[in-house]
Amino acid sequence: MSYAYLFKYIIIGDTGVGKSCLLLQFTDKRFQPVHDLTIGVEFGARMITIDGKQIKLQIWDTAGQEAFRSITRSYYRGAAGALLVYDITRRETFNHLTTWLEDARQHSNSNMVIMLIGNKSDLETRREVKKEEGEAFAHEHGLIFMETSAKTAANVEEAFINTAKEIYEKIQEGVFDINNEANGIKIGPQHSPTNASLPSSGQGAGQGGGCC
Amino acid sequence: MFRSRSWFGGGLWKPKNPHSLEHLKYLYNVLSKNQIVSESNRGLLVETLRSIAEILIWGDQNDSSVFDFFLEKNMLSFFLKIMKQKCGSYVCVQLLQTLNILFENIRNETSLYYLLSNNHVNSIIVHKFDFSDEEVMAYYISFLKTLSLKLNGHTIHFFYNEHTNDFPLYTEAIKFFNHSESMVRIAVRTLTLNVYRVEDRSMLRFIRDRTAAPYFSNLVWFIGNHVLELDACVRNDADHQSKNRLADLVAEHLDHLHYLNDILCLDIADLNHVLTDHLLNKLLVPLYVFSLDRQKVKLSASKNSSPYVSSVVSLFLLSQVFLILTHAPLVDTLAKIILHADRLIFSNSSTQDKIVLLQQGKTSVIQPGFLPPTESLEISLETSLDVSSRSISGDSADLASPCISEPRSRQSSIEESTNTTEQGSEGKAKNDSEDMNLNITDEEKHMLKVLACQSGAVPCPSTVSGDVQALSSEGPMLLSPEGPVPLAQPLSTQPFIESVYNALNCQENDYAALFALCLLYAFGKNKGVSGALLHGVLYPCQRPEGPCSPLSHRYNVPVVERLVSVITLSCQPNAKVRLVTLELTIRLLTQIVIHANSSFLQDCHLAAIEGAKEESSSVLRNFYKSEEIFLDMFEDEYHEMKKKPLNVEWLTMDSNVLLPPTGTPLTGIEFGKRLPCGEVERARRAIRVFLMIRDLSLVLGMEEERALPLTDTTACVQVDHVLNLNNSDLIGCTVVSKDGTRVHRFLVIDVIQLILVEPTRRLGYGVAKLVGFLQDIEVTGDKDDSRCLHITIHQPLSSGASKRVPLLAAKFIFDDHIRCMAAKQRLTKGRSKARQKKMVQIARLLDIPASQPSVPSSAYNLLTARRQESALRGGVRIAGGREQRQLYNIQKMPGHAAALRRESTPSPSNTSKSPDRTRVRESSRSREVSPKPLRPRSEEIPLEDIAKVKEQGALLKDTVSVPSSSSVLVPNSTSYSPSHMSYQTAAVSESVSTGSSTSSSSSPPEQSEETSFTRQASQGSKNSGQRRRGQVETV
Repeated sequence: MSYAYLFKYIIIGDTGVGKSCLLLQFTDKRFQPVHDLTIGVEFGARMITIDGKQIKLQIWDTAGQEAFRSITRSYYRGAAGALLVYDITRRETFNHLTTWLEDARQHSNSNMVIMLIGNKSDLETRREVKKEEGEAFAHEHGLIFMETSAKTAANVEEAFINTAKEIYEKIQEGVFDINNEANGIKIGPQHSPTNASLPSSGQGAGQGGGCC
Repeated sequence: MFRSRSWFGGGLWKPKNPHSLEHLKYLYNVLSKNQIVSESNRGLLVETLRSIAEILIWGDQNDSSVFDFFLEKNMLSFFLKIMKQKCGSYVCVQLLQTLNILFENIRNETSLYYLLSNNHVNSIIVHKFDFSDEEVMAYYISFLKTLSLKLNGHTIHFFYNEHTNDFPLYTEAIKFFNHSESMVRIAVRTLTLNVYRVEDRSMLRFIRDRTAAPYFSNLVWFIGNHVLELDACVRNDADHQSKNRLADLVAEHLDHLHYLNDILCLDIADLNHVLTDHLLNKLLVPLYVFSLDRQKVKLSASKNSSPYVSSVVSLFLLSQVFLILTHAPLVDTLAKIILHADRLIFSNSSTQDKIVLLQQGKTSVIQPGFLPPTESLEISLETSLDVSSRSISGDSADLASPCISEPRSRQSSIEESTNTTEQGSEGKAKNDSEDMNLNITDEEKHMLKVLACQSGAVPCPSTVSGDVQALSSEGPMLLSPEGPVPLAQPLSTQPFIESVYNALNCQENDYAALFALCLLYAFGKNKGVSGALLHGVLYPCQRPEGPCSPLSHRYNVPVVERLVSVITLSCQPNAKVRLVTLELTIRLLTQIVIHANSSFLQDCHLAAIEGAKEESSSVLRNFYKSEEIFLDMFEDEYHEMKKKPLNVEWLTMDSNVLLPPTGTPLTGIEFGKRLPCGEVERARRAIRVFLMIRDLSLVLGMEEERALPLTDTTACVQVDHVLNLNNSDLIGCTVVSKDGTRVHRFLVIDVIQLILVEPTRRLGYGVAKLVGFLQDIEVTGDKDDSRCLHITIHQPLSSGASKRVPLLAAKFIFDDHIRCMAAKQRLTKGRSKARQKKMVQIARLLDIPASQPSVPSSAYNLLTARRQESALRGGVRIAGGREQRQLYNIQKMPGHAAALRRESTPSPSNTSKSPDRTRVRESSRSREVSPKPLRPRSEEIPLEDIAKVKEQGALLKDTVSVPSSSSVLVPNSTSYSPSHMSYQTAAVSESVSTGSSTSSSSSPPEQSEETSFTRQASQGSKNSGQRRRGQVETV
């Protein structure tokens, strides 16, 4: 469970776009959605590997806290990456992106990597927002873009991992001040003895499950 | 029966359908067989817990029997049992995540109630997890936060027990209020806000009586320590080295204030009272306000060792406070203390205590002073809560240790029975960083405590009561609602506001002045500060009669004097006043002296402002050059100023301004927030200073802006306008853009604009397809093709386009070389004339003496007067008109026009040489200084008329070339359509600007205006220069 870096993410977007489902799908992909079961969660963590390095992602959903200015403000500030999610079957969620983005840019640190996600790509028949529109928006505002489906798990991994790659690159370039934890990046406990004594079985199960 | 069914039906074999009651039964069986967590079954347990969550949510949405089974078997108790063993973070995390999923996703309210009803959840909450494991901590706090989102008037009773006075969800969470991990702190804050907004009276009473004082005092101390850290950062960083750190500390302080404001905005009276009390007495007054006046503090009582921050930091932070917090009892009291409190407040800190007391009609129990809480939050909570009721938490003894340093190892569970010593060391190693932080804080706390005790900054309770007695007579003075009262008092009795005023002194630099301005501005903007307090201080006194009736007492003279001196200083070359300071000064000044659209500014102050305006224009005159860049800079600065008015809220979020002002752009600080660097920036600054003070002068004089912006956009042609082109010169061309698309267009060159039109169906009309300003074009010829021009039209500055992508960059192909050359010359000429015209406008703004007679300095009034005057003379009209028309025809010859351009600038001394030449010159000049761009609308001229004109023109000696020039430009035989248009072009004078004069030929009365001047001009040399200037304007 030792990691080289810990990246903190936040997930933002209108309610009902599937933020918490994306999160659960990523952190605990064993939740195979069948029977129209929608399960979400507000927090999750998972280990990924980039460039041979173990990187831990901590994802905090900000849902339900919009009423308090202080809370959204602080969340933005504490994150290194943000997933900005809209629902491709609901035009209005796409239209609100500008507001979300303004908020994010205003409160976050300027290096925060923002990924735009068009969720529910499995519902092609009910699509209201074209993929090109999402691409254009992302291009215009300098975001990475991807269409995902929390339901079929399509592109969910990629969305989180690509964001992490971007952050990782920024660290390599020296853009992020990694010694400053307020950026949402933490350096792992490098030589902590606890890591060595970790039982391998638990570790293996944890990785297999994609949990923790 | 049931048991056996579950045993055989779903117990042994894993059912195929993961979403079924059978599956849950199977999972139950697994749990009951694995009640002891061991190395071997941990993986299985995790998987089981995960599946339970999934199945329960499925059941909640699809099959209620699933939930019934879960409750019937009391499966939550398994969770507890597992938890109570030292199960290791792996199992713990899954357990917490399962609970998270459960509470997050359950929709059925009854299910939720059942889940909560047996108090298992509270047992889980108070369970002492291994919080040193950041993962466990994160899942735990997320779980609590998820629960808090489920709180409402009904569910609150599952968490808050009125009888035992127990509210573990809240009290356990707030113990992490100062956790080192920011996300944890945020989660705690979210939870507290979610709790406060549940409207349950007894719960809120519990919060207030049992937790508010400990929580708020700790919170306030926590904030105060951040402030001290921030101050240290500013102190030790004069070279802008730790910008990131400072930015974080500033943002952190803003976060604190927003959090406090969010609480206060929930408007829970009792809670707000306690919070306000703590904020004022424990933080804002003793740390922020007292720091305004350090010297006085030292002098008065030699209490120089109580913690303080620099006055710059204090002004900055107080500005933030007043910009964010709006809770009236808080901000009003604080404003009152800053504005009115006298020096006695130092010797006697009970004074502001009394203010609070009187303000709110309630007794304050808090002794003022920035001091650490007497005990840690956990101890306070423990003692204030009824310990006996807390049977759940058996091991409450170790609560005394600060929560973030729980000396537990996350390893403890993994190998539970063995190697406890090893665990301890591991845990210690892991917690090292945290402990370090903690140690620092503790040291600091200790140090501060000692210092505070030594200094005696805060009187011990025994003295206070006596002081209150002694000072009770001061009460009415301090709380007087009379606005003008402070004016009557000499400043020196009010040390705080006096030091704010003194900070406005910009002789050396404007470091502190900027924040003093911010603070005063924030006072005025704060809704919570009562108006009575500010009238006469930050707003004009509203009562014309009474003690403040003389004009001099209508506003705060000491402040205005200082503001005026800031303005005066900023006009001097090499002034140390930043643009942002000047802008804020001006805004504050207008706020203080202007009320209901009238200015109360005394003459002496007004004179100083006017003097400053003079000064600023004289500074700017030194930069006035005919260089192209000056015009661009001028317009750029103007648009910047109009586009981005100063936002003080944002200014006080910028940690950069907290560092001493600097001049180098290498710091990345915006231009307005630093001093200029280099000649170009000094020019920009001079422009901006001039524009701002000119603006102020207009506002004070209640005058309207007439001269700016330089381009009157309302008079400009816009894309898609349909234009009457019957009398315009059109040059047909093919526009080839970068991507290879070709379109056929007609090029029209207006006074200030270049227009590409497409003909409409209606003959002689066209639609503007592209409009650009001539001043922004770049024209170059093509080496290989003599019929081609490369034209780039840049975005106008006013468009606000950040990326300066050209409006158009394309190749223009003309019919032949001659037309291409003509177009090039006219574009180049048009560009320089458009620019020249604006430079003349600027020169007029700066009162640069008109070296050129062509300066259209006198305004339209003069012009109209002359028109009326001339209208009286009838006889000469027509002849003159004809003459005029001919002159325009002359101008159509491109080569000729270019030559004339040079002539148009020099002095008028040589104009009288030949009447003909004069006419030519004037006509050419008249185009360049044409006061407004005229649109060729409704100016159809009968063709015969033009033909006649042309004939007559041919008679004039100087116009011999007319026919040839027109034929060169647009031969009648040209191939492009509509032919009607081309004919018009050939016949009619060239530019749109001549529209009015052309039209005048068809309407005699108007014509007379024009012609009479021309006649006078041609009459010659005896006319005064002024008169001649007048003529020029008219066309």
